[in-house]
Amino acid sequence: MRQGPCSEEGCFTVLKLFEHVLESDPLINEVGFIHPSQFNLLDEEAGSSSVYQNELQPNNETSRKFWNQDHKLGISTDILVQLCKDAKHVFLLAFEEYKRHGNACNESQIENFSCSPGTPEIEVMRHSQAVLLLSSDFGTAWNARKLILSKKDQLSAFTKELRLSELILSNSPKSESTWSHRRWIIKMISQRFSTPQVIITKESELVESIGERSKMNYRAWYHRCWLVSYMAIEQVIQELNKSKRWAGLHVADSSCFHYRRRLMLKILESLYVKGGNAYDKSEARKIWKEELDWNKELVERYVGREALWLHRRFLSLNWIIYFACNDLDVSPEPGESIIMNEEIAIFIDNEIHLLESSMIVPDTKFEDFQAQALHAGVYMLWLTKKIPELWRMVEEKLGTEKVKCVLSTIAQERPSLLHHLVNV
Amino acid sequence: MKITALLVLKCAPETSDPVILANASDVSHFGYFQRSSVKEFVVFVGRTVASRTPPSQRQSVQHEEYKVHAYNRNGLCAVGFMDDHYPVRSAFSLLNQVLDEYQKSFGEAWRSAKEDSSQPWPYLTEALNKFQDPAEADKLLKIQRELDETKIILHKTIDSVLARGEKLDSLVEKSSDLSMASQMFYKQAKKTNSCCTIL
Repeated sequence: MRQGPCSEEGCFTVLKLFEHVLESDPLINEVGFIHPSQFNLLDEEAGSSSVYQNELQPNNETSRKFWNQDHKLGISTDILVQLCKDAKHVFLLAFEEYKRHGNACNESQIENFSCSPGTPEIEVMRHSQAVLLLSSDFGTAWNARKLILSKKDQLSAFTKELRLSELILSNSPKSESTWSHRRWIIKMISQRFSTPQVIITKESELVESIGERSKMNYRAWYHRCWLVSYMAIEQVIQELNKSKRWAGLHVADSSCFHYRRRLMLKILESLYVKGGNAYDKSEARKIWKEELDWNKELVERYVGREALWLHRRFLSLNWIIYFACNDLDVSPEPGESIIMNEEIAIFIDNEIHLLESSMIVPDTKFEDFQAQALHAGVYMLWLTKKIPELWRMVEEKLGTEKVKCVLSTIAQERPSLLHHLVNV
Repeated sequence: MKITALLVLKCAPETSDPVILANASDVSHFGYFQRSSVKEFVVFVGRTVASRTPPSQRQSVQHEEYKVHAYNRNGLCAVGFMDDHYPVRSAFSLLNQVLDEYQKSFGEAWRSAKEDSSQPWPYLTEALNKFQDPAEADKLLKIQRELDETKIILHKTIDSVLARGEKLDSLVEKSSDLSMASQMFYKQAKKTNSCCTIL
């Protein structure tokens, strides 16, 4: 058996201490790396008296390694690199052992009566947990856990894994491997047990709280969009309603509106499900109209926010194709020409009014009126590119002067975009 | 929409660094171990921006996940740390209100301030809570006509506020407002602000 650089008992004391802290506080909900100078300050802020001492660590500032109170765990950066190396080393040893002998004891262990059932497996899980808390993108460790978990048949093993993953995300919210592992767990749960709606709901809430703390977290929002494929239509509607308030408070965040589009796409898909299970079109229509009206309120209130205008593109285009067109029982073909009708005409008329009012740029530098004019112009141009029949209507209603104004605004700020939109 | 901090500072030409007169911050939405560093950064960035905001000027600086808004009214400067979503106009409306209230409560006593004040100012803490909803700040707009006449300068990065040759990294290193822990946190945050993390 391979030996480490020193005898097994003498080495890895810090690792053992780390694993002990993790085991003794199963409710730890946040992990962080801290500077050694933070220990005293943290003690003060947590209101701990000087009587508190972690009995495993000397009360000597220079050798404090872990800080654990209120279910938070801080790891000193002084020991971090060595701890990570040790954890990796020990994990890989344990994993080799597990792969060689499975979960059975080897002969010498049986002879010495030193084997207890489940030891190699437990060792792999214990050490992989330690290494992943320090280095969340270590693929081999995640794979080891997948290997062991795939042999489990209790739901609790998987929900426990979700809790570990959440703990890891508290320190590495953008770790792709961690998010990907979550998806694996959910797939396993849905294959072996049913997919409790509660799990999907909790996942969605988790992404929202992580999105709140960690900006531009594409991976978190991708995960949330992925969840939609596990949602029944009732849950989709619920999610749309629940996430509305957050979206309204984060108007610069394109990801949350992208998520809403994903939900709304699911509604569209469900309109044409065969076998009498199709979602009620008039209900869908109501939801769409509400979203359009709400988007308009936001656009008028929070001036110059591109994410809102991008959202409107999706809403308007699909309104025209799916709801304003004469009622169809089959899904419209892509590229099919739109047959102009009165409802569409009225809708476009309103959009043109919105464009006109957005083009007004008062001489104040406070609001981003310039950006509003740009985004409104681009929005309209984009719509006419998708539905060429609209261009004539826009030209007629706006008049040549205003059309020139729109085009020159876009030409100033985004010349390549203008080129792309205008070129046939 | 979030306000993370509101500061009132004295900016006088003869002192090299602005003096903090009042500070209210809400760091509860940050990671547990980052909170004290965030508070230190608020002080550091607040001082840095305020000292580079000439009298009668308003400016907004984009810095990481905040927009830092500053208004220097004859040496009394209000600084707000808001997020990207909080409307700029509402932010300046609030800063105006803060300055009015400060002068109402403390008159001109601030002119002789030499050291940072550690006393919390209850009004500022209340304002931090109340104006989390920009609609409250917008109510103030109706009585603030002077807001319309002034321009504000927008900076896409904090570097454009600094003088030529000044670098943020060296200011961070030299600053007495930032502890060792915060310096480490700053360097770490620079690395991990990209999508990929490699330990």
